[in-house]
Amino acid sequence: MIRIASTGALALVLAVAVPVQASSFAGSSAGAGSASSGASSGSTSGHDKVVLQAREDAAGFVASDGRIRGARLEAALRHLREQSAAAREASDLELAQAILAH
Amino acid sequence: MTGGAAPLPRLRSRASRMGWARRGLCACLLWLALAAEATAALRVEAEPGLDAADAAATRALVDAALDRLPPRWRAMDATLRLAWRDDLPEGVHGRIHGRRIGLSRALLEDAHAGGDGPHAPPAVAALVHELAHAWDRSEGLSRDPRLLDLAGWQVRPLWPGRARGNAFGARSPDAYELQSPAEFVAVNLEHFLLDPGYACRRPALHAWFAAHFDWAPRAQACDPALPFVDAGALADAGAAPLLELEPARVFAVDYLLAGDGDAMMSRWGHAMLRLVVCAPGRAPGPDCRLDLDHHRVLSFRAFVDDLQLSSWRGLTGGYPSRLFVLPLQQVVDEYTRVELRPLDSIPLRLSAGDVAALLERAARVHWSYDGHYRFVGNNCAVETWKLLHDGVPRTAALDLDSITPKGLLRRLRAAGLVDDAQVPADPAEALRLGYRFEPWSAHYQALYETARDHLALEPADVGDWLRLAPARRAPWLERGDMRATAALLLLEHAALRREEQQARDVLKRRLAGAAPAGTAGDGALPGLLAEALREGGVLASPSGLLSLPGYGLPQADERAQAKAAAGARAARLRALDARLHEAARAWLPPGRRAALEQVEANIAALGRRLRALHGAGDGLAP
Repeated sequence: MIRIASTGALALVLAVAVPVQASSFAGSSAGAGSASSGASSGSTSGHDKVVLQAREDAAGFVASDGRIRGARLEAALRHLREQSAAAREASDLELAQAILAH
Repeated sequence: MTGGAAPLPRLRSRASRMGWARRGLCACLLWLALAAEATAALRVEAEPGLDAADAAATRALVDAALDRLPPRWRAMDATLRLAWRDDLPEGVHGRIHGRRIGLSRALLEDAHAGGDGPHAPPAVAALVHELAHAWDRSEGLSRDPRLLDLAGWQVRPLWPGRARGNAFGARSPDAYELQSPAEFVAVNLEHFLLDPGYACRRPALHAWFAAHFDWAPRAQACDPALPFVDAGALADAGAAPLLELEPARVFAVDYLLAGDGDAMMSRWGHAMLRLVVCAPGRAPGPDCRLDLDHHRVLSFRAFVDDLQLSSWRGLTGGYPSRLFVLPLQQVVDEYTRVELRPLDSIPLRLSAGDVAALLERAARVHWSYDGHYRFVGNNCAVETWKLLHDGVPRTAALDLDSITPKGLLRRLRAAGLVDDAQVPADPAEALRLGYRFEPWSAHYQALYETARDHLALEPADVGDWLRLAPARRAPWLERGDMRATAALLLLEHAALRREEQQARDVLKRRLAGAAPAGTAGDGALPGLLAEALREGGVLASPSGLLSLPGYGLPQADERAQAKAAAGARAARLRALDARLHEAARAWLPPGRRAALEQVEANIAALGRRLRALHGAGDGLAP
């Protein structure tokens, strides 16, 4: 009901005044569900961003053998297929694995 | 009325060119005289006793003011008296009592100077202002519900009537407009008639006045894009700090509802609006629903400037309420990853015109609103209802007021504003197409079973697995296949969030007992926090980014300034954020810090494992 204008990064204190991205206080990039612990939230190209944002969804898809399929993965699959002929040939699972290994 | 055209036949007689012209002139004067007798007109007469020069200047001033009025207004049947006064209070330019207008004698100098510059002289503005009061009294503009919505005397839930105050105080052309609806009308009519920029700065009010008069003064062409400070720039150095949103690019607006949280203040959920913005180059249509990266969320939030959220201040309106614009992806992260709450995105049945009006209203709220958050009377649901009510006139007639997010959804549905048919009935399909976003917590046990069965892990359930010391999980993370490793990755993310939560609790306790901000010794954390609070305040109040004069929606120069200022501010906050992380880590007890670092190492190891497995097969490179 009340939504405090802060989250994640600065919110190690609960209620800091900035609506910062929901990156974890540990400094992992929230955008990525990142495997690299030190990844700071920096600039990413549109392509990378769509793929990075889909990483957790891709993990869920691979782990559930395709049962769990979120919108971020769907968006990334469409994006990849709009961009590349190779992606149009590939199966959803192959693309999800590639996103996961990105 | 006797026919003003009666003399015309005589003009058809043969005559010299001069004769034609003279007779034409006479005929027109006669026609005008007859018309004036029959038609009402607004007259302003100077009080007697002025010397010839003052009388002439007064006459010129009156003509200049009347010249600016819409035809309907000039046809008003009234005669007003104008006097120059020495006894008006400091700073007051004019007064009107009944039919008597008094203007400050200081303005008489100005009237003598005349002035044909691009801006109307102050004397003209002052006279138009007083004439506007007369017009308002005769026509009742300041009692019109729609005008009151636009002006900012907002409706309120539970109680009939409207708020007594006007909270739209930022970027006002003249703070006097907030005094009362009557002053608002007078100030705004002044700007409507005299400022060619009014149409772009206050488009909805301009349109209302133009419809009221069935006439509008010549106005500049407006930039169709609406500016918003984008909070996404705080996290992403590549994001544009100023979002310039063309309403035509917004395919739909959804009611975005966050599910219940554990904390007291999130128990009722959170109400937001999601803007389905199409990616550049994509024609507006259902395909835009997956352009998630371009979607934005309008979210009213309490701006909290202390470290402990106080229930008392929340109840009594001690926190400012502001309209934030955030990237959808960021909002999904906040809820599903950090708070483990689901989000439902429910399409609203709005026309393109409704959407454009709603966004225009959102821009006004974003730049000008400075309200106060109250847990009950002015929370997110109430603010969102008011945004719809004031932005989309047809919703004002519907019974929508509600003080809870779910209550508002029920009322939107009952009023036929929810397009449920769009949402797929199959829950899996709703997830796939982004009508719902779920936290992974719902799947932790199933994910764990996938990994356990593959690796013959000992712990019986996911709770036991996550309770293991991170170093004890580490060896198992190097052995799975792609599927088990993916499952372990999601679980390790869960472990990381748990560690972070615990670290936050520790820090909170340590900060509560810490020396005052700025003192040296135990690291720089308190000082950094205080700095972050100060810096963050400006982004919570977009108008604070602008020092150029101007009111309402920022125009080209002000947009450039807002862009530069928001970019610089966001960069400082990102740097501050990095230093805060570092300082916070240094503050943790060594055991906590080691656990946190081990979980991060586990996640890194899983990433390497996934890449190795993928490389071993002949996987695609995206």
